Amino acid sequence: MKESKLGDFEETILLLVGILEKEAYAFKIAEEFETQTKRPVSIGAVHSTLSRIEDKGFLTSEMAAGSAERGGRRKRIYKITAEGQRALEISRELKLSLWNQFPAFADGKLNFVLG
Amino acid sequence: MSIYEPPKLAEKFLLLFLKEDLGEEVLGDLDEKFYRTIEKKSLRRAKLNYWYQVFNYLRPFAFKFFTSNSIITTMIKHNFRISYRILIKNKAFSAINIGGLAMGMIVTILIALWIHDELTFNEYHENSDRIVQVLRKNKETDGSTYVNSSMVGQIGVFMAENYPTVFDKVAMTFFRSRAQLLSVGKQSFDQIGYFIQSDGPEMLSLRMISGDIHGLEDRGSILLSQSLAKTFFRDKNPIGEIVTLNLSADLKVAGVYEDVPSNSSFANASFMASMELIYNEQNPYSWDNYNIRVFAQLKEGVKVNEASELIKDIMTPHRDAEDGFMELFLLPMKDWHLNAEFEDGVQVTSKRMQFVRLYGIIGIFVLLLAFINFMNLNTARFQNRGKEVGIRKTVGSFRSQLITQFLAESILYATAAFIISIVVVWLILPWFNSISDKSLMMPLNNAWFWLSGVLFTLFSALVAGSYPALFLSSFKPLKALNGTLKQGKASIRLRQVLVVFQFTISILLMIGTVTVYNQIQHAKSRPAGYNQEDLITVRGRSSEFYQKYDVLRAELKRTGLVEEMATANYPLMNTLGNNGGFTLKETGERIGFSFNTIFVNPEYGKTTQWELIAGRDFSREFSHETGNIIVSELAVKRMGLEDPIGVELQSRWEFKGRKNFTIVGVVKDMIKGSPYEEPYPLMLFPTTRANSFLFIRLNPKVRYVEALPKIQEVFEATLPGHPFNYEFVDDEYAVKFRSEEKIGSLATFFSVLAILISCLGLFGLSAFVVEQRTKEIGIRKVLGASITTLWKLLSRDFSLLVIISCILAIPTASYFLNGWLENYEYRIEITWWMYGTAAVTGLIIALMTVSYHALRASLGNPVDALRSE
Repeated sequence: MKESKLGDFEETILLLVGILEKEAYAFKIAEEFETQTKRPVSIGAVHSTLSRIEDKGFLTSEMAAGSAERGGRRKRIYKITAEGQRALEISRELKLSLWNQFPAFADGKLNFVLG
Repeated sequence: MSIYEPPKLAEKFLLLFLKEDLGEEVLGDLDEKFYRTIEKKSLRRAKLNYWYQVFNYLRPFAFKFFTSNSIITTMIKHNFRISYRILIKNKAFSAINIGGLAMGMIVTILIALWIHDELTFNEYHENSDRIVQVLRKNKETDGSTYVNSSMVGQIGVFMAENYPTVFDKVAMTFFRSRAQLLSVGKQSFDQIGYFIQSDGPEMLSLRMISGDIHGLEDRGSILLSQSLAKTFFRDKNPIGEIVTLNLSADLKVAGVYEDVPSNSSFANASFMASMELIYNEQNPYSWDNYNIRVFAQLKEGVKVNEASELIKDIMTPHRDAEDGFMELFLLPMKDWHLNAEFEDGVQVTSKRMQFVRLYGIIGIFVLLLAFINFMNLNTARFQNRGKEVGIRKTVGSFRSQLITQFLAESILYATAAFIISIVVVWLILPWFNSISDKSLMMPLNNAWFWLSGVLFTLFSALVAGSYPALFLSSFKPLKALNGTLKQGKASIRLRQVLVVFQFTISILLMIGTVTVYNQIQHAKSRPAGYNQEDLITVRGRSSEFYQKYDVLRAELKRTGLVEEMATANYPLMNTLGNNGGFTLKETGERIGFSFNTIFVNPEYGKTTQWELIAGRDFSREFSHETGNIIVSELAVKRMGLEDPIGVELQSRWEFKGRKNFTIVGVVKDMIKGSPYEEPYPLMLFPTTRANSFLFIRLNPKVRYVEALPKIQEVFEATLPGHPFNYEFVDDEYAVKFRSEEKIGSLATFFSVLAILISCLGLFGLSAFVVEQRTKEIGIRKVLGASITTLWKLLSRDFSLLVIISCILAIPTASYFLNGWLENYEYRIEITWWMYGTAAVTGLIIALMTVSYHALRASLGNPVDALRSE
């Protein structure tokens, strides 16, 4: 049976694929991840996650022409599938609903600066 | 785009395991990352990062041969899972097995690091393959030949002027590199450094942190090592600051160089100053004063022996025929550390080299021990698994699959051992460095280190696993299940031979350790000929010291803290200051050897508390004392004098204006040089003037903590500005034992590990044997066998093996140790009890190891034994 849940790291990567659009390939995604989250990640880790998400059917990919910077080598561009889109939405809905049940947040009293 | 390229090796490695259809995109991504890192950080970081990224592709999804549901993958997974379960099931056994191999690997890694450090000695100097030192070979008129490195200064001048096409650079240094007093403001430190010509620092390729490598062209400047510069100036920029040398010369700091690492001949150089501070126009290089070392750098392509040939006879025109024959030659830098020992003018294997070889051999043997264990225990363990093989075969397992199963187990064990050993080595390296006096580092980012480690692990796994893998997999399933399968005689015999081998090595190492310790103790307890306790020594620095010495002496003696004090022109800790050319006046007979000639104050004897055995001590009372001398026992013996007192000697050279001397006293030999060698014949001249080495005999009734501050106070009050840096003579003496003590502690370390490994093996084997005989023991017990009988029965076989080992080890040990002891003139005789101790200890340890299981089995309830299975 195919795994179809979306892990936390996977979700982030999936979002990044969406953000980067035409530039969504392993190196760029890893770089974007580092700049956005300030956390180091290896390309290999990102790549392996991408291929895992692809297996789940949330991503498709195709090869695109490469630049001189990468020795003319082609790159694999990922795209979110309709299923992927849905999985992201479900995940967002779930989180939002959880947030809304959070009493302090729902009352608008949540004070993050509290310290 | 950039001119740099990603590391080729990493790329190759990546392609080795990466799925082919991923190759293009991954390489592209990594390239982009690489160039991005160069832009943002540095090339080095980029390369490191590249490796990091490559290693991070070691993931299942990217592997060539890892298609997730293929039969092979499942099989490999299965193999490792079974291996892991077996490992966990026999915890103690696995621990012994892995622990033993890990210990062997630890020793091997440490020794390999140590040997690597020794063999790469001096490679810090970039041109080490072209740097040479000039040595001379002298043939004395009495036929003896020796090699020495002290040169006359004109040699260097001559070489540079006459052979500019052969020598790229010539740099001479002052021969003695004794500590000099450097001071900045109030801070003064005794530091070893070199007075070297201005080309020296560049020749040695010192890495400059700041300043100019050619700084010494100005004779008023000095180069400091980084650590010394830090001590003096902290964070301040040292360039241009003033450092005072020996309280007399102000030198300007012209540069700071990175500390020379400990595996260099110049490791102790904390400063370099100009040679011309000592030799200059007023005091030029001579043709007859041997107090210089000459170093040179050959031009590219010049062979050492060709250059040697050219300079061979430089000295001939400047010497008398009666001085004997002298020939110069060059010693390349790579030989300075390990190949610089000569006997009768011929290069011989140095002690150091012997140690490199010895440790190499020990390393190989200890590893072999661990290997044998691994193999022994593995084969023993696998033999319990005949049934498993039978069942596997019955359900259709191929032989090749069984082989992979057993090899997978081996690999799992060996890998665990390798990982453990790396961690342990990393942890104990500081301790190892302290006992071996090295600064070794774990080459964690050296690809060769890892490659050899991995290859080695695989190799050990294959060797240790191949026998059981091939042997067990060949079982006929019916026989295996039937239980009619017996272990082959051959494999038992093999195991016995291996145990004998292990214990032979262990006992050999133990005997070695005992011998080394005894030899050190023997030399330590050797009578030194003077009393080293309560004796301190201080170096006189300034001219004020010489002028005010008498005042100082009177003041210090008045405190009651100082029993006596005296000065000499050489320290007590070496045999420098040698002169020959004496004749016996009466017969005109030439004395064929040279003396250690020292000028001393009349109180020298009372201060050092030497032992006068004939004649009288020097005294200030006698007006014509200057023509009198005191010699040592050995000097009398070698001169062949029956009644030495009153014998007159004539010298070819003047000593303080005199050539004729009369012996007034004879003292016991004083051990000033190596405590392992024959003492040097001494000749002492009296002088009432102060010399640069001051000895102070402290009052033994006062504690040091009280006496020394007061003495310092008086000293500094009498000689303002003169540092009171003292050393205890017994501390200085103890340094002479350091290298032997190092050998001792390393030998102990190795033999403890060897014994431990062997015992682990024996422990495992005995457990195995006892387990196999559980039923037998039960039956014997039921029939009335006593515990002692059973214990004997079970331990006898192993004890016999250990006894055989002793018989083998003793002659081998005596052969090697006698060879080692021959290096020392003052040495112990190996006696039977040294062998006895080691052999008995070995036997006892082995017996205890075996007895654990034997006793446990014989004490157990026979019913349990019989019911087992």
